[in-house]
Amino acid sequence: MTELALDSGQAAVSPVLAPRRRFMALRRLVAHRSFQIGLCLVLVLAVAAIFAPFITGIDPSAMKVRLRFKPPSETFLFGSDSFGRDVLTRVLYGARVSLWIGLVVAMLSGLCGALIGVLAAQFRSLDALLMRLMDALMSFPAILLALGITAALGPRMESVIIALTVAYVPAGARIVRASALVVRELDYVQAARIAGASDLRIMLRHILPNSVSPLLVHMTFVFAYSILAEAALSFLGVGVQPPTPSWGNIIAEGRDYATEAWWVMLFPGLGISLAALGLNLLGDGLRDVLDPRLKAG
Amino acid sequence: MADDVLVEVRDLDMAFKIKGQRGQPAMLHVLHKLSFDIGRGETLGLVGESGSGKSTAGRILVGLFEPTGGSVKLFGHTITGPERRANLAAVRPRLQFVFQDPHAALNPRLRVGDSIAEPIAIAGTQSRRDRNERVKELLEMVGLPRDSAERFPHEFSGGQRQRIVIARALALAPGFVVCDEPVSALDVSMQAQIINLLMDLQARFGLSYLFIAHDLAVVRAVTHRVAVMYAGSIVEIAPRNALYDKPQHPYTQALLDAVPRPNPARVRPPVIGGEVPSLLVPPPGCRFHTRCPHAMPRCRIDVPDLRETAPGRQTACHLYDTANA
Amino acid sequence: MIAAPLVSIEDLTVQFRTDRGWTTAIEGVSFDVAEGDCLGVVGESGSGKSVTALSMLRLHARGTSRFARGAVRYAGQDLLRAPERNLRKIRGRDIAMVFQDPMSSLNPVLSICDQISETLCLHQGMTRAGARQRAIELLDLVRIPDAARRVDEYPHRLSGGMRQRVMIAMAIACRPRLLIADEPTTALDVTIQAQILELLRDLRAELGMAVMLISHDLGVIAEFAKRVIVMYAGRIVEDAPVDVLFNAPRHPYTEGLMASMPALEGGTERLYAIPGRIPDPDEPIAGCRFGPRCAHIKPICQAAAPELVAIDATHRVRCTPRTRTSDMT
Repeated sequence: MTELALDSGQAAVSPVLAPRRRFMALRRLVAHRSFQIGLCLVLVLAVAAIFAPFITGIDPSAMKVRLRFKPPSETFLFGSDSFGRDVLTRVLYGARVSLWIGLVVAMLSGLCGALIGVLAAQFRSLDALLMRLMDALMSFPAILLALGITAALGPRMESVIIALTVAYVPAGARIVRASALVVRELDYVQAARIAGASDLRIMLRHILPNSVSPLLVHMTFVFAYSILAEAALSFLGVGVQPPTPSWGNIIAEGRDYATEAWWVMLFPGLGISLAALGLNLLGDGLRDVLDPRLKAG
Repeated sequence: MADDVLVEVRDLDMAFKIKGQRGQPAMLHVLHKLSFDIGRGETLGLVGESGSGKSTAGRILVGLFEPTGGSVKLFGHTITGPERRANLAAVRPRLQFVFQDPHAALNPRLRVGDSIAEPIAIAGTQSRRDRNERVKELLEMVGLPRDSAERFPHEFSGGQRQRIVIARALALAPGFVVCDEPVSALDVSMQAQIINLLMDLQARFGLSYLFIAHDLAVVRAVTHRVAVMYAGSIVEIAPRNALYDKPQHPYTQALLDAVPRPNPARVRPPVIGGEVPSLLVPPPGCRFHTRCPHAMPRCRIDVPDLRETAPGRQTACHLYDTANA
Repeated sequence: MIAAPLVSIEDLTVQFRTDRGWTTAIEGVSFDVAEGDCLGVVGESGSGKSVTALSMLRLHARGTSRFARGAVRYAGQDLLRAPERNLRKIRGRDIAMVFQDPMSSLNPVLSICDQISETLCLHQGMTRAGARQRAIELLDLVRIPDAARRVDEYPHRLSGGMRQRVMIAMAIACRPRLLIADEPTTALDVTIQAQILELLRDLRAELGMAVMLISHDLGVIAEFAKRVIVMYAGRIVEDAPVDVLFNAPRHPYTEGLMASMPALEGGTERLYAIPGRIPDPDEPIAGCRFGPRCAHIKPICQAAAPELVAIDATHRVRCTPRTRTSDMT
C-alpha cells in the first residue's frame, strides 16, 4: 500500500471560499412568474394612485350636472356618475384611499401579530392569556367585528384601519407563534441562552427574524382582504364617508343606478379585483420562494 | 490536585414532568445519581446510546436545565441550589457548548461574524473594533479565511459551519467546553479535520472537554477518560485505554462488540439482544439486567452502585462487588 | 461472468434541475448485481449513492430530475424506459427498498398489519385474512417478539429498531430478488444496528436474495458486504471484493477514507485528514474530481477525466496513474 505523503500537521482546509452569489432569494423571487405578474398589477395600481391628481387633472368632486350619467367616452373615459363627476378621477382617488388602508392594516396587524406571537412563544404564562384573547377575537367574522368597531368609533378612514387591524391581528399572531415555537428549540437559540442572552435579545435578534417568513406571505393576503373589507364597509356606509371617494363607496353610490349607469360600479369593482389578484399573486410568489428555504433550515 | 478539578458533579438527578399513559402526569427520570469530575486540560468522554441521558447531562453542565437533584460545581461555583443564578452568571464566560447539527447551530439571518461575536457582545466587555478583531482572530484559529465574517451561514459547507460553531465557542476563551456529538453530522473525511482541530485547541489553550458521542472510535481518539452511560446512569468510568482494552461492565463489553470494524476478516462476537428499557417504567434492580448475559438473581433486585474497582476506575455492577454488602 | 446478472446498471447519468440549470448528480455509473450478491455501496454526502439506488427503481421526482443517459436492465427490460405499470409490478415485489429513517417511513395512521398487508394484497392478491396471517409470519421472521399482538399496533408505539424491522418485513414480504437498503441503520443505536445487520445477513441466506447495502460507515460495509463499490462526487471510484478493498485499496480516496477513520483499537494520536472538502456537483474541476484533494495528483489527472478501468477480473479503479499498465504490478 502506498504511503500517504501528505502530512496533515495542521487541520488542513481549503482557504478559498466559493464566490459569493448574493441575493439568491431575491433573484429567485423576481424570476417567479406569478410574482412578476402580481408585482406589475400592484405597481400599476400604486402608480395610478400616487399620481392620481396628475393623470386626469380633474377635481374628483367637480360636478357637471348637465353631464350626468354619461357612458364612457372621450371626455369621460370611465363615464360620469349621478352628480356628473368623472368616474375615472374618482376611481383613481379612491385607489389612494383603498390601497392606503390596505397597506396600513397589513403593516400594523403584521407588526402587532408578530410581537404577540413571539411573546406568546417565549413566555408560557403569557401564552395562555394571549392565545385565548386571540381566539376570542377570531371567533367573530372579520366584517362583523370591523362593523362593530367602526360603529363605535364613528365611521371614518381611521376607524376602518383600527377595526381591520384588530380583526386581522389574531391570524398573524397564530402564524408567528407557530414558527417561533419551532425556532425557540433550535440550537442557535440555545447557544444564545448559554452565552447568557436576555429574553429580549433572544426574542428580537434570534426568534423574531426567523419566524416572520410565513407572516410576510400572510401580510400580502391581509392587504388584499383589507381592500375587500374596506370596500364592504364603505358599501354598507360605515367606512369612508363621501364625498371622499373610496372604491367601496363609489360602488355604493352606483348601486341605485346599476341598470342605467353600470360603469359607475364596474370600474371601482375592477380596481378591487385587480388589486386583490395582484396581491394574491405576489403572495404566491413570496410563499414559493420562502417556503422551501424554510424547510431547508 | 483538588485545585485542578474544574467540574464536580455529585448525585445528579434529572426528571421531567410529562404526560404518561392515559394522559396522567408522570415523571420521566432521565438521569439518576450521576457523579464524575473533570480536571483542567482533560477530556472526559460521555458515551451511550439513545435514552442514556448523555445529552441532558451536557446541557445541565452549561446551565440550560436545572437538575432536580444533586449538585454541580463549576470552577468552584455551585450552580445548583439557592445560589444558582448568581453563580451561573459568574461562571458563564468560562463555559461553552459545541452543538451536533451545524445547520441548526447558527442563526441563518446573522452574518457569521455577528454569530461568533455574540458571546462577547452579551458579556459587553469589548468595544466593537476589538470585537471584530477578535472575530478575525478566531476565524484564523479554526482555519477559516478572515473575510468569512461578512458572509452568511448558508454560504458554508457543514464542516466549515462546524468550525464557525467552534470559533463562537472559543470567543470568550472558556475553560470548559461541552461538545455534544460535534462530528456525528459530518462526513467521514470532515470528521478527522474537526477532531484534529478540537485536539489542537485543547493543547494550545488548556481546555477541558466533556465529549459526548455515540461513536466509540471517535471517542477513543480524543478522550483521556471515558464514562459509559446506560438508561440514565453511569455504569462505568475508567481511563481511556483501560476502558477499551479491558472493559468491566457487561454493557461496555456489548457496546464495544457491537461496533462494526473496517476489518472484513474479524470474527464477530455474538450480538446482544433486546432494547433500551422504557425510562417511564424502568426494570427493577439493575437497568441492564434484562439484556445482560451475566445477570444474576441479585441483579433483578438491587441497583448496583458505582464503586471503585481499581485505582481510577469505577464500575456499577454486582459482578465486581467483592465487598458482598 | 458465467450467469447473466440480475440487474445491470449501464452508464447511468442523472441530473437535477437547480436555479442554475441542470446539475449532474451521478455520472457514468456502471455495475452489475448478480443473483444472491452481497453488495456494499459506500460514499459520503454528494457521492450519489442514494441517487443511484433511487434511480434503479425510477423513484425520482419527475419535474426536477432527468436521466441524461444510461440504462437499468432487469429481466430483459430497461427500467428507465419501461412503462410505469411494469415498474409498479417490480417495485416491492422483485426489487424492494428499505430507507434510512424509520420514524418517517411508516404511515402513522395505519396499523402495522394494514401496511404490510397492502403490499401483500397488491402483489400477491391475498385476502385480508391471509395477509394478516402472513404479516404475523413476517414479523416473526424479522424477530419482533410477540408478533401476533404487535401486528395490530401503530407505528408510534414502536421503537426505532422495531420500526426498521417492520420496514424490512414489508420489503421482504413478496420475497424480492434484490433488496436495496439505503442507510438502514444510520439512525439507530449501535447495538440495535448490530442486530439489524445480523438480521439482514440471516434473511439473505434464508431467502436467497441479493442485498445492496448503502452506507457511509466503512465498518458496516466491512462486516456485511462481500463486494464493495466506493463512490465519490457522483462517480464510482473503486469496485472490489471486500477483503481486497480493505487490505489493498487502490484509489487515493479509498486510502484516505480508511486512514482518516479513528480505530477502535486506538494507537493513532493524530488522525489523518483528507484536506479540502467535497466539491459541489456543479463546481467545475478539470479532470479527476478528487484531484484537488489528492496527495498524489499528477498532471495527467487534470488533463483528462479518469476512466473506470478493470485492473483484474474483480477490481475496477478510476484513477489514471494507478491504472496505467506500467504501474500495475
